Amino acid sequence: MGNISILQIITYVSYAFIIGIYAWRTYKYARMPVHLRWELHPIPSEKGHTYGGSYYEEEEWWTKPQYRSPLQNTIFMVKDYLYFMQYYQQNKRYWFVLYPFHLGFYLIFISHVLFFLGGLALLLGLPISSASSNLIALSLYYLTLITSVGGCVLGSLGCIGLLIKRAVDKDLRSYSAPVSYFNHLFFLLVFLSGLYSWYFFDPTFAAFREFWKDLVSISPSNVDTATALHIILFSLFLIYMPFTRAMHYIAKYFTFFSVRWDDTASLAGSAIEKKLQKSFGQTVSWSAPHIQRGKKWSDIVSEVQHPKQKA
Amino acid sequence: MDKKIRVTDIGRCDEQLARLLPNELMSLPYPYSQPDKEPPVKTLSEEQLRTYETSLDGVSAIGLTQPKSKHEEEAFIKSFLEGLKKLLSKENNWTFLQPLLLSLEYCAKCQTCSESCPVFVSSGRQEIYRPIFRSEVLRKIVAKYLKKEGRLFAKFTGSDIELNWKAIARLAELAYRCSLCRRCAQTCPIGIDNALLSREIRKLFSQEMGIAPKELHEKGTVQHLAIGSSTGITPKALNNLIRFMEDEIEEKTGKKISIPVDKEGADILLLHNAGEFMSWPENAEAFAIIFDAAGINWTLSSELVGYDAVNYGVWYDDVQFARIVVRHAQIAKQLKVKKISVGECGHAHKAMGVIADRILIGELNIPRESALPLLEDIVCNEKIRLDPQRNNFPVTLHDPCNMVRLMGIVEPQRRILRKICPRFKEMEPHGVNNYCCGGGSGFAIVQSMNFPEWRASVAGRMKLKQVLDVFQNNINPETKKYVCAPCSNCKGQMRDLFSYYNVWENCGILYGGLVELIVNAMTDLKEPFISWEWH
Repeated sequence: MGNISILQIITYVSYAFIIGIYAWRTYKYARMPVHLRWELHPIPSEKGHTYGGSYYEEEEWWTKPQYRSPLQNTIFMVKDYLYFMQYYQQNKRYWFVLYPFHLGFYLIFISHVLFFLGGLALLLGLPISSASSNLIALSLYYLTLITSVGGCVLGSLGCIGLLIKRAVDKDLRSYSAPVSYFNHLFFLLVFLSGLYSWYFFDPTFAAFREFWKDLVSISPSNVDTATALHIILFSLFLIYMPFTRAMHYIAKYFTFFSVRWDDTASLAGSAIEKKLQKSFGQTVSWSAPHIQRGKKWSDIVSEVQHPKQKA
Repeated sequence: MDKKIRVTDIGRCDEQLARLLPNELMSLPYPYSQPDKEPPVKTLSEEQLRTYETSLDGVSAIGLTQPKSKHEEEAFIKSFLEGLKKLLSKENNWTFLQPLLLSLEYCAKCQTCSESCPVFVSSGRQEIYRPIFRSEVLRKIVAKYLKKEGRLFAKFTGSDIELNWKAIARLAELAYRCSLCRRCAQTCPIGIDNALLSREIRKLFSQEMGIAPKELHEKGTVQHLAIGSSTGITPKALNNLIRFMEDEIEEKTGKKISIPVDKEGADILLLHNAGEFMSWPENAEAFAIIFDAAGINWTLSSELVGYDAVNYGVWYDDVQFARIVVRHAQIAKQLKVKKISVGECGHAHKAMGVIADRILIGELNIPRESALPLLEDIVCNEKIRLDPQRNNFPVTLHDPCNMVRLMGIVEPQRRILRKICPRFKEMEPHGVNNYCCGGGSGFAIVQSMNFPEWRASVAGRMKLKQVLDVFQNNINPETKKYVCAPCSNCKGQMRDLFSYYNVWENCGILYGGLVELIVNAMTDLKEPFISWEWH
């Protein structure tokens, strides 16, 4: 097995690793016990969301049909993922460096999907080039070019911007650990290595697309040294990502949908009630004197002494 | 000096971390625009400084005493770490584990939240009050002391924090410099909740180490469950207070109203913060007058716990919280009422309406609501006769955080005020973007040493600024003005805040509830219900 095969193995392993770890963590969060409600208004799905109102504004709210538009929550979240709407509104200066940084990642992610599709097209006998008369091939060629190069350029600018911002802004600097700077430098290296290999060795991405074709077909492959270096760096990046805070784009789904926007009232016999019964049965080991450790949560809560006689 | 404090300084043993200087605090509008008019935060006596832990900012909310031996210090640290492990376990902390871990693990440290915090801004941006400061202390302790690889990469990941008695004691105090208003959480684009982390720290100290301000625990939830009310009111005292209120209603309005108590099968069990009976009986009287005039079938309870809507557990302890809401629901069930309605108490709204939702299941799931929509129905659908001209004075509305941002009750109180107060004017910002009164999360009742001065000059500073700003065109004391604060704790804070700055004498600004304004506008009253007396 030569160097090229090792590159392919690294690529397979890194993708499997990041997908596996993220899936496991997402599962871990999704399986956590149902918690007490802790919502925060405004909630986009509520009728009064424009000013932050909720169903609690209605007298005997439980007797009335509840207006809910869950789609509004999704629209809010999609807009926020797409252009970091909240950062733009709350912290514009930061947005100017943060957004290119993240947009760079988005575009790189899309470009890798396109490389996968490009590799598949090559396997199916559809050549991808600017001279192609096939619309799909032509689209794949230009979209890959735009997303890859655009992603690396924006990502690089974002990394540099964030490095400067963290170093210059004293509020950010005092809360930035060495690892934060390392991350930005490392990501910058990944983006720059991509630009370098594209500009000097593979301006049409033909070689890289061949590499993806071989990845898809699990066949031996061959790439130039600069592209190999980028592939190694990118694979290391994928393996490193789960050890950073980068999962916050998945965590954000839970912070909003499961905490901030979860104002669904528990109804008798609901699935939530069944989950709560399970939690109520947990044995508690808190040590403070007012808690009888070793008992079930439900017993601790109900066994407090309530004198029968009125004082 | 103070503003260069770093998170890792939390365990520093050489000096106090922050010093509050009057000229560094956020400036206030006229007539408090001169810094020399700012009363200094009271310095503690030598004896207090020797006895109590005050090295965070020279203030003490908890009254932690200094350790007497090395062994005591080590036991304290061990207990804290044990509690931290429990806080992160689903067996002990199923109640908030998911929100806790999300906020603990994914903060981007972008500082978007900092400027939303009234304590941080009011203090002149003291670093220790920055919303993520205490969260970072907790994160670093977890990273270094609970994760296997923590110590190995501590410097690289920024978790190089030294855990000693001082660090833990300061963290305990620091958890009581956040009023849990959750403005920072509302601002965070990722949804990180620093206020939740403050509450979780408080919970760790209470549920594992038995540490909490005595006003919240011994005199708060423990007294509430044991003798009926955190105010110390017993059922017998309640009966006397009710007779007193009935007499006062007759004296003020000429109406003979019998306040219903323990009326089985009533439509509504009305829960008041018992602080109303003690400090603002006119609020409970006003409810009785309105409900009587509107023909509402309601009752109070004289059962232990049942006549005090408060639930201080909301602020520091899940177990105490659950014990109280369960008791409230049991009383409602015994009385066979159709629903529980919560009077003008913000945290009781949140406790009964929202958080209790996943405690009161099965037969304890009694319908619960705020009294505000019912009041809105009575006022706006003209079920009683009102004359807005009787409220022809400047009025503004303070939004209790628990009702607006934390529960989404924003418009009913406004519709009422627009209907009955011709000179109603909003303060800015308001609604879900409001600022805390500075008495939230138990601050209003904590009387430890110089904490009340800190509460007035720092925690309540932003609210004072808002109130002065909104009345700036009529700021002379001759024009009487009214801050409507439909929450007992907020009123307690307003009372102390306005007294601290002599706001009544200097500006003629009074605070009070919403129902008092409604009764004041009732056409069948010969005399105004609001007496415009400072008390």
